[in-house]
Amino acid sequence: MKGQLGIGGMRWRCVEEAAAVLLAPTDREVMLGDLAETECSVWRGLGDVVSLAARRQLDLWKGWRPWAASIGLALPASLFLMGWSVAASGSVAGFLGEPTQLGAVWFALSRLLLVTGWAWMAGFVVGSVSRGTLWASALACGTPCLHCLSLWPGHGLSFLRLLVFLLPGLYGVWSGRRELRLGLSLAAFLAAAGALAFLISGKGGWMYSSSLLWPGLYLTATAKRGSV
Amino acid sequence: MVGEFEYLILSAAAHLGEDAYGAAMREVIETTGGRKCSLGALYITLDRLEAKGLVETWLSAPTQQRGGRAKRMVKVTGEGAREARKFYETVIRISRGTAWGDGRGNRLPEDAA
Repeated sequence: MKGQLGIGGMRWRCVEEAAAVLLAPTDREVMLGDLAETECSVWRGLGDVVSLAARRQLDLWKGWRPWAASIGLALPASLFLMGWSVAASGSVAGFLGEPTQLGAVWFALSRLLLVTGWAWMAGFVVGSVSRGTLWASALACGTPCLHCLSLWPGHGLSFLRLLVFLLPGLYGVWSGRRELRLGLSLAAFLAAAGALAFLISGKGGWMYSSSLLWPGLYLTATAKRGSV
Repeated sequence: MVGEFEYLILSAAAHLGEDAYGAAMREVIETTGGRKCSLGALYITLDRLEAKGLVETWLSAPTQQRGGRAKRMVKVTGEGAREARKFYETVIRISRGTAWGDGRGNRLPEDAA
């Protein structure tokens, strides 16, 4: 059993507890309980917490899911959606400039809907495929955005324009973490919309296109049968 | 067959019986086994053993001693006991005829000195 901890000791114990946020709730409960009743130093306790968190992460990366979610989807989707966000927000700006043109309204709205739907779908797949490695997917998505923002500040690409896909994407991640699977009808609709978005843009080779089409196919393949 | 660390965990759990859980098993491994053991390695190995059906684990009721937190209790299954015995017998068999086994093989440099 541990002796009475001074104020300094208790402060350092808080470091262990803060580090334990890296662990899943059950692991955190058990690990902090074990540390509370052993006489190891705070540094060793911290090492125990970090080593378990690191090993859990390593275990996750042995499977295909984190790779598919981060390198296979978040990275190419962010590149694709950045371009689409700029185009969609440009269309909306054009429509606001000449609100009487019905064709411009339709064009702006359809682009906006496609970007929103595609971003939500990609976010949903990222959230449902690999919930434990969302940090890596966020990194894979955020790095190209920050890079492009730093390359072309104020030239067609602003943070506000990126929000056109980032907000629905984040909502999709949140939904994917909760739901895991969609109904068949919605999944098939999103897959079709995703394919349409790709066909309209018509850019990139087969590798790029397959990385953009698989989320829709995955959602359809794993959809809940007999539900909407 | 189980590995060396898996064997240590199975033995520690069997030794502790109904009181086998993370912190207690680490203490047994460190004091009896004479080696450092991180809780991270212990829990990851427990997961592996559980996946192989060699141990069963469950959460106990929270105790005051641990700041109101639960323990992950461990029980060696029949299959786990058989695997541990297999490892033990293999080590005994392969050690026969060595200087550190029954002493009939090559002598250790320390013995010669």
